[in-house]
Amino acid sequence: MYHRYHLQTSPAPEIAPFPNRTRVKVSKRGLAMHLLKGLVRYRRNPEVALSRPCVYGVFSGPVGGFAPRSNSCVGCLRCTIENPEMVQVQLNPEHQHLGDSYFTPEHVDTTCYEARTGRVPVKGAGYRGPFGGEGWDGMWTDMSEIVRPTRDGIHGREFISTSVDIGQKPPFLSLDEQGVTTGESVQTFSIPIPVFFDVPPASIHSRKFLEILVEAAQEAGTLLVLPAKVLSKFAFQGQQIVPLVGREDAQTLPKLRFMPRMIELESGNEGLLKETRARFPEVTICLRYELASKEELLRHYHSGFRVFHLVANYHGRGRNGRFVLDLIREAHKTFVEASCRDEVTLLGSGGIIAAEHVPKAIICGLDAVALDTPLLAALQAQFVEECAEREKSRFKLPRRLAVDWGVQRLKNFLTSWRDQLLEVLGAMGLREVRRLRGEMGRAMFQKELEREAFSGIEGYGSGSI
Amino acid sequence: MANSMKSTEQLIVEKHTASLHQGFHLWPELKNGKLPALGDHRWTADLILSTWVQAETGKPPSNGLEHRVGNSGGGFDVLDFKFLPEDRRLSNDVAVDLSIPLNRRPYDRQIEIPIPFYGAGMSFGSISEQVMCARAKAAQAWKTFTCTGEGGYPDSLLAYKDHVITQVATGMFGVREETIQRAPIVEFKYAQGAKPGLGGHLLGDKVTSSVASMRESLPWVSLFSPFPFHSVYSVEDHKKHVDWIKTINPEALISVKVSTPTDIDMVAVGSYYAGAHIVYIDGSYGGTGAAPEIAKKTIAMPIEFAIPKVHRYLLQEGIRQEVVVMAGGGIRTAYDLAKAIALGADGVVLGTSELVALGCTRCSNCERGRGCPFGLTTTDPELSQLVEIDWGAERLGNLYRSFQWQLSDLLRSLGLTSIRDLVGRTDLLIYRGRAGAR
Repeated sequence: MYHRYHLQTSPAPEIAPFPNRTRVKVSKRGLAMHLLKGLVRYRRNPEVALSRPCVYGVFSGPVGGFAPRSNSCVGCLRCTIENPEMVQVQLNPEHQHLGDSYFTPEHVDTTCYEARTGRVPVKGAGYRGPFGGEGWDGMWTDMSEIVRPTRDGIHGREFISTSVDIGQKPPFLSLDEQGVTTGESVQTFSIPIPVFFDVPPASIHSRKFLEILVEAAQEAGTLLVLPAKVLSKFAFQGQQIVPLVGREDAQTLPKLRFMPRMIELESGNEGLLKETRARFPEVTICLRYELASKEELLRHYHSGFRVFHLVANYHGRGRNGRFVLDLIREAHKTFVEASCRDEVTLLGSGGIIAAEHVPKAIICGLDAVALDTPLLAALQAQFVEECAEREKSRFKLPRRLAVDWGVQRLKNFLTSWRDQLLEVLGAMGLREVRRLRGEMGRAMFQKELEREAFSGIEGYGSGSI
Repeated sequence: MANSMKSTEQLIVEKHTASLHQGFHLWPELKNGKLPALGDHRWTADLILSTWVQAETGKPPSNGLEHRVGNSGGGFDVLDFKFLPEDRRLSNDVAVDLSIPLNRRPYDRQIEIPIPFYGAGMSFGSISEQVMCARAKAAQAWKTFTCTGEGGYPDSLLAYKDHVITQVATGMFGVREETIQRAPIVEFKYAQGAKPGLGGHLLGDKVTSSVASMRESLPWVSLFSPFPFHSVYSVEDHKKHVDWIKTINPEALISVKVSTPTDIDMVAVGSYYAGAHIVYIDGSYGGTGAAPEIAKKTIAMPIEFAIPKVHRYLLQEGIRQEVVVMAGGGIRTAYDLAKAIALGADGVVLGTSELVALGCTRCSNCERGRGCPFGLTTTDPELSQLVEIDWGAERLGNLYRSFQWQLSDLLRSLGLTSIRDLVGRTDLLIYRGRAGAR
């Protein structure tokens, strides 16, 4: 029966203090003088003297500007423009310390907004950031002026599918004389959104945190990768869980209390693959893999892997320091050139920290994306210093972490990201995210656009990217 | 009027208006530093403050504020001009022609504007009626144009009708026969740079009863223009729309506003063949009253890349001489403007820079609640009084004057006497590289 994908959003305000981007400082002496002058000037009308420049309530507390409510400040600066000597609006150093060098305070702000409201961040004025840059920032997506599903699609009247298939797909079916299929079979399953949850950082052992992931993944109909050891320890089960199995975990496999849809192997060891396949013949086997070379990738393909989870670190860097975007493109191209791209599924994680990165990663060649640090930020986990490697990164979870709250935050977050994906698909005129995969012709890269636009201009080529 | 005769509300507005005007004057000159929370990569604190100076004095700042480029690390910010040595520059006595035609076809009405820019579409609802009138008054004084945007044509603009472009967009908000008939130029908005492929977006808080009445919609209900025109799926369909407008107003010039997809060159050619006099390309870093952040940053290409693509393709097709290319979406300064023309545009369309001249700090709160705290992008009856029409028109006129002065100076420094000679002259540009980018 037809089922439209929907996650119920509901406001889920922050449970830990969240520093505002700006803070407001008022000179008490200056304010007292200002009020005094105003009361003299407007002695017949104190309402005028006491009227405040802020329309967002920063000075609406019981003692007005003597105790400004900085958390209500939106940074419009009207107060300080009107009263330059008396009011200062500064950037809040506490806010500047959110996240780390890759997951910037602005990313934390956006993620928290998405998790709090479930909405697409909408703002006035134009884009405020750098022109382009390395990695994701140097890439734009296409739009279509006329031929496309309508904006109505985004608002529900027309259907745009975000469902993706994971598994092995033979290029053609082989049939015997009786018409029965022989040889490699189609072994896929679908998830309704092209995002799932990656393995939590090694430093987090909170049962509540894991429960949030397990429950949210189930409600979202997506997947959650959990190490086999964690599964043994907490006895989680459910079809949404993807056990992550290392060589040393092989003995834990028989102890699984449920039949997962997918198992992720940390090693491309052929023995482990055979053993896992023998125990779970119906289950999709995925190789978690740091891309090193095309040859190695193809070797894993020839040894029988059909699903690959390409991993980079939290800052999007692979083993050789290359950015995840390039790694994805290379992996995708490798399979295209080997004429087997449609037989495999490419999953990816690392450095994907904003909603815009999902369509960009898919255009570069992924089928689906695994999320890591954004989930932590959505749950208000604090980054402890730089958090680049999963094994070493430390995060501080809120003390009052509650499962219901966390599940709602992640549902809100996923809804917001899915809606933003729909915005991009809608603008491009695509009715399903599967058509976006590898659509490099619908992407624009700064490097190429700059070459096309500026070549011939004196100096271009020396300082260009 | 004596203070005793004024209402409390009037006195409050007067008090804050006076303080704001004083602040716009003081801040660029303050010795204790710039506003620490002001500015961003594209619109740095220097650019905002220098725009305030220009809006007040009609000249570029002389106190060291950087008024030519921002700090985005790309596009216009990494381009510069190859000026002639001082002794080879034209003297200030040499007259410079900044006028551009808005119809380059040999038939239909010929309109020329004395400065190579006009105002972008900003709808009633996204901005206040006072700001609309101030823009129109400045356009009238400078014999150029402003645009209604997609939100109807308030009667208060009738006094400036010869300088008002009216927009027909997918929501058809406020589009009537009489508004088409009175417009010298009608602009079809296929897409907007800041939200390409997504249609218009006016959040419910700003849909007051007067906005709703103008748009024939319900008060306090968010308005989304559909996307695209449901009746246009080909160049032929688009021509049908152009014919429809020409039937209602045969005198009108037709402008087609499009965003910047990968095939923007094809779109421009299609628009030309459908009968457009002006192809207006709106880059992805342009302004908006409200747009998803993902659209602003991610969808479609910046204008700096789109202009040469369109210009060169139209040249190859042999039709460049018959169509006017206007560029918008990210033009902040007189230097951006000149660079856009050197890259291949005939002229540019200004939006955000006009709002900055009126006091915008680019705080990005245009869409929420009562709207802009400076009375610009608001429909709140009290807040919108913070901008007086005459004050606003004066500020915009001063900005235009400063741009005019800088463009003239710039042309003389390049040895040119007409802005038309700058079109497509990429040989006069220098690429400065990405130093200074993050």
